[in-house]
Amino acid sequence: MSEESKESRSQARLAAAAERKALAETAAKKARRNRLLVSLAVIAPILLVVIVGVSISLVKSKVDSTVTAPTIASKSDGYGLVFNPSAKPQIDVWEDFQCPACKNFEDVNGATVHALAQNGKARVVFHSLSFLGAESVILANAGACAAEEGKFLEFHDYLYKNQKPENSAYWGLSQVTAAGVAVGLPEKTYKSCLKTGKYAKWVENISAAGAKANINQTPTVLINGKEIDRNAGIYLDPKLFNKALADAGVK
Amino acid sequence: MDVKNFARKYSSVNLLALLARLILGGALLYAGALKALHPYQAAAAVRAYEILPVALANPLGYTLPWIEIGVGIILVLGLYVRIGAILGSAMMLIFIGGVSSAWARGLSIDCGCFGGGGAVDPSKTAYVSEILRDVLFLLCGAFLVWRPGSRWSLDAMGSGRITEDLYEDEFDVDEMEG
Repeated sequence: MSEESKESRSQARLAAAAERKALAETAAKKARRNRLLVSLAVIAPILLVVIVGVSISLVKSKVDSTVTAPTIASKSDGYGLVFNPSAKPQIDVWEDFQCPACKNFEDVNGATVHALAQNGKARVVFHSLSFLGAESVILANAGACAAEEGKFLEFHDYLYKNQKPENSAYWGLSQVTAAGVAVGLPEKTYKSCLKTGKYAKWVENISAAGAKANINQTPTVLINGKEIDRNAGIYLDPKLFNKALADAGVK
Repeated sequence: MDVKNFARKYSSVNLLALLARLILGGALLYAGALKALHPYQAAAAVRAYEILPVALANPLGYTLPWIEIGVGIILVLGLYVRIGAILGSAMMLIFIGGVSSAWARGLSIDCGCFGGGGAVDPSKTAYVSEILRDVLFLLCGAFLVWRPGSRWSLDAMGSGRITEDLYEDEFDVDEMEG
C-alpha cells in the first residue's frame, strides 16, 4: 500500500467524519427549532389562561360602586343591609344562608338580633356572604329582593328555619319563589328580581368587602367592630351573647 | 427501535419521572381549578393563615389558583419540566412552611389546599396529613428537578432526546434542560 493511498484514505475518513458531524449539527439545529416551536405553541395558550384568569379574579375582587344595590344597603358598611342607621351600638352579622354554623347561631341568638333590628335598639348590619356556592348566591340575591320589599328579616328567618344541605339543588327558582311568597312577598316583582339576578353583582360586592374586612368564616358577628370571642363560646350561648350586647350598651 | 433506545425509553427513571410529573402536575391542576372556581373562599383561606397582611393575602388568594393551574399544565404536558418542577417545589415548600407555622401558632385552620379553608374546629385540623401530602408532592418536584427527562413529555418530543433513534449519544438524558 502506497503512502499516498494511505493518506487519501485517512483524508476520506476525516471528510466522512466531518460530514457526519455536520449532519448531526443540522439535526440538532432542527431539533432545537422543533422544540422552540412546540414550546411556543404550547406555552402561549397556557400563559394566556393564567394571565386572563389572574386578571379576571383581580378585577372581580374589586368592590364595584356602580352595582344595583337594595335601598337599605350601605356602601360604607361594605354594602351590608342596614337596620336603624343612626342607632348604637353596631352589630354586624356576616353569614351565608346555606351555612350550618350560621343556622346554629341563628337558632340560639337569631331572635335577639331580629328584635334589635326591629325595635331600633342597635344598628344591625347583615352581610350575605356566598362562599358555599351557587345556591348561596341565589339566596343572597333573593334576600336583597326581599329587602327591597321590606321583608328581609322575615325572609332571613324563613331561610334558616328551612335550611337544606349545602348545594343540594333544592334552591331553584320555584323553591326560592315559594319561600318569598311564604313570607308575603309580591310574587310577580319578586320572581322577576330572582330571574334577572337583579342583585347578583351586589352579592359579589359583599364578598369582596368581606375579603377586605378580613372575614374568614361564617358566621362572624361583630359588636362595635369587634368580633365576639369565638373561643369563649359566645356564638352558641344566649347568656354570654346577651351579656356582650349589654356590655356594649344595648338596653 | 433498537434495544438500547427501547431500554432508555422505558427506563425506570423515565417512568418514575412521568409518575412524578402526573402526581405533582395533576395535584396542582386539580387544586388550582377547585380554588379558581371559588376565589373569595381562596382569599379567605390565605387570610386565615394570618401571615400576610390582608392587602397582600387577598391578591395572593385570587391569583394563586391560576398560577397552580399554569404550573400544573406545564408538568402534565411535560414542557420545561425542570422549570415547572422548580416552581412546583417552591410552592410546596411555601405551603409546608405555611401549614407548619399555623400549627405552631396554635391556629385551627384548614389548609385550603383543595378549596375550602379558613378556621375549623380544633378537633378538625389535619396538619400532619396536610404536611405529609405536601412532602410527597415536594419529593415529586425534587425528583423532577434532578431528572426532568421522562416518557410522554413535550420536552422529549421537541428535542428528540428520548424518542429519536438518531444521534442519541449527542443527547444524554442526564443533560436535559441543562
